[in-house]
Amino acid sequence: MNARLCFLVVLAASFLSAGCATGPKYGEIAPSFGKLAPDKGRIYVYRASALGAAVQPQVKLNGETIGNAISQGFFYVDRAPGHYEMMTSTEVDRKLSLTLDKGQTRYVRLNISMGFFVGHVYPELVESDVGQKEIQECSYIGQQK
Amino acid sequence: MKRQCMYAGVCVALMVASGCAFDVYHLKQLPATMESGRSARDSFQLVKEQEVDLGNSYKRTLRKGTRWTHVGTIRQGEVFKTADQILTVEASNVHEAYIVVSSNKLVGFYLPVEKAYSPLSEPVDLSIGAVVQGMNQ
Repeated sequence: MNARLCFLVVLAASFLSAGCATGPKYGEIAPSFGKLAPDKGRIYVYRASALGAAVQPQVKLNGETIGNAISQGFFYVDRAPGHYEMMTSTEVDRKLSLTLDKGQTRYVRLNISMGFFVGHVYPELVESDVGQKEIQECSYIGQQK
Repeated sequence: MKRQCMYAGVCVALMVASGCAFDVYHLKQLPATMESGRSARDSFQLVKEQEVDLGNSYKRTLRKGTRWTHVGTIRQGEVFKTADQILTVEASNVHEAYIVVSSNKLVGFYLPVEKAYSPLSEPVDLSIGAVVQGMNQ
């Protein structure tokens, strides 16, 4: 009985961890990130929750794929100041419109909500202090090349 | 057999209904052209926290002490933005927003990316004061 229970716990843990990001945590790798160019702004994109880890849609910025929404992972992009639309697609498209100024750093959290067949991942602009805190536990997954 | 048909019908209805529901919330947006120019005030500070009902089950709070800077004018009022808090309006999608003020009332939001105005169903009184350093929380 105990062996069965143990097996089930391991199985459940495997399910939960499958699809979660691995790699260096923010604090370990952030010092190696290049300094933000004076004519650019930076957008950090992270997904703190492990919920719905199997759902990993692409993240697009103004139509360009910049990364994937991987649970407990993060990446960043540097872009010229301007207007941007971030989009994730599962069974529906979810969009966030945001502005970016020169020298500005913005944090976008990818949340998950219920869907019919599959969960919906949606981007949310969060306060810098919230983003800085939550991203600490996320692993760097790199941006789409 | 009849029962099976009924189940299938209910399933199809649920699928159709849920598919619709995902995108049911749309924010009312009117095209708006923002012009730069001077306003009666270049900036102000909120003296009191203000909760705003977006009318679609979402709410936003404009925090006490936030400083708002005039960025332009649209037909519906003066447009102000702040660096002291994130302000977005939300329906099925999320949009960064500035506030639109007319006669000391919040009348709606300007969406800088969409270049659109999203009106509130009811204007909201704002407690506006002069900018005071150190008041921001």
